[in-house]
Amino acid sequence: MKILRQIDSFLARIEQTFLIVLLSVMILLAFLQVVLRNLFSTSILWGDTFLRQLVLWVGFTGATLATRQKRHINIDVFSRLLSDRGQTIVGIVTNLFSAIVCIFLTKAAIVFICDEKSSQSILFANIPTWIFILIIAIGFGLITFRFLTIALENFFHLVKKES
Amino acid sequence: MEIVFIGLIFLLLALFGTPLFVIIGAIALLSFHSVGIDTSAVIVEMYRISNTPALLAIPLFSFTGYILAESKTPQRLVDLSQALFGWIPGGLAVVALVSCAIFTAFTGASGITIIALGGLLLPAMLQNAYSEKFSLGLLTSCGNLGLLFPPSLPIILYALVAKININTLFVAGFVPGVLLLILVSFYCLYKGVTLSVPRTRVTFRNLYKAIKAAIWEIPLPIIVIGGIYGGLFTVTEAAAVSAFYVLIVEVFIYRDIKLSSDVPRIMKESMLLVGGILVILGTALGLTNYLIDAEIPMKILQFLRSFVQTKLVFLIMLNLFLLVVGCMLDIFSAIIVVVPLITPIALDFGVNPIHLGVIFLVNLGIGYTTPPVGMNLFIASFRFRKSILSLYAASLPFLAILLVALIIITYIPEISLWLVNVVGIK
Repeated sequence: MKILRQIDSFLARIEQTFLIVLLSVMILLAFLQVVLRNLFSTSILWGDTFLRQLVLWVGFTGATLATRQKRHINIDVFSRLLSDRGQTIVGIVTNLFSAIVCIFLTKAAIVFICDEKSSQSILFANIPTWIFILIIAIGFGLITFRFLTIALENFFHLVKKES
Repeated sequence: MEIVFIGLIFLLLALFGTPLFVIIGAIALLSFHSVGIDTSAVIVEMYRISNTPALLAIPLFSFTGYILAESKTPQRLVDLSQALFGWIPGGLAVVALVSCAIFTAFTGASGITIIALGGLLLPAMLQNAYSEKFSLGLLTSCGNLGLLFPPSLPIILYALVAKININTLFVAGFVPGVLLLILVSFYCLYKGVTLSVPRTRVTFRNLYKAIKAAIWEIPLPIIVIGGIYGGLFTVTEAAAVSAFYVLIVEVFIYRDIKLSSDVPRIMKESMLLVGGILVILGTALGLTNYLIDAEIPMKILQFLRSFVQTKLVFLIMLNLFLLVVGCMLDIFSAIIVVVPLITPIALDFGVNPIHLGVIFLVNLGIGYTTPPVGMNLFIASFRFRKSILSLYAASLPFLAILLVALIIITYIPEISLWLVNVVGIK
């Protein structure tokens, strides 16, 4: 468990740095595009396409971090009524379920990436499209890892309480 | 039988706090699998959102809103509105109302408004002899009014999901938004007179001081609102300008926010929200695509048609349905999940899609403060350290006013469509 936690916080640090760099690039590039378009009637040709891809990258990085901090949007009406033990058990079930669903989403993303790779489609400047879609697979992969970690945490918490 | 069973399990998992995107994703995966389509279709649809031009506005405006919430902007906003409106009987209440509305428009979430502005306004209102019940009710329920004004994120998201023009929806939201503000203002005036609240005089010095303090922030609403209504900027351009402008102003001019420590933290916080919205949006696109292919909205429609004949009855049911949805789900996921299903049905009943958007936003906003489980009631209870029951009681009069406004807005479509026709954008 301790190793898992260390991997988790190590990954989180990388993700945070990555997120901050991407968002900074996004803010600057988006502003630059507006200035170029309105004052100089020109713009970076691939700028808008690239910006929209950035949203996806920023979004998925944010989503894995949101999983870590248990900040995903949910409707939680019942579990606040439960005892501590009940909440832990519910935590194991819901997080395991989430991990399983995310494994399938990761798998679906990998299939899509392979399809795109074999079709050799190009988004701009000779960069193939599949490179940009990678984030969906990486994102869901990391989210799966996080859900599993949380489920295990709950499990150990339960075992500790029982013994 | 099997479907009902699986549906029940998913519902149970959702109600016990499974993230919504997981539930939607699971249904999407199963749906495609059940008709023999490879599940990668879910990801194909998800990736398709990167073709939407306005997508960029979501992270940029979220970041802008979070920066504003963490700086001393709320204080300056309240001071400025106080200098402008303090002379009206019930002026401070109107100040609270207007500040909350503006702030919600920029942050896109009325929960943030309660947290950022509530702490400033509640003590000020109590000091000015407003009753606690009135003050709590106002601060809990009135942030929602800002949802109808640019650059509100829910409007952008609605237009994105319903595939209608964002600027048209912003124009359509203006008159209903003003109507809501006026109705609540009248109640504030009435309370101000009956509670004989002291008024502050407008002095040139106070006004000058407040304007001088907020001088760098005053251009922001002018750029965004003027730019969008005036057709000068697209929403995405307005978002790009605001994000950059706010960053420079708050970090380098006001120095409320430190570049090395605060900015990275705020960036991360705001992108947690964006990530949360994006995964729901992504998985829901796959699902709704399947549902539309399977003609589910048409089946719901046929079922509805068997006992709902008129547009009027449909609208009544829609209002009630959205109140329930609004208090169960946050506004972002409510829009993403419900809009694609309801839109074709509403069209069939002859509801204008732009008008439908306004109904959705007003309705879902009210759902936030509807007892027993409206989200803002919990946030306010946490922020003001009051029991949830006292907040139910406090927000009831405001809820009544907002419901009256909702009825007016729902059953008189011209309120939403008049300005759109005058401006002549489609």
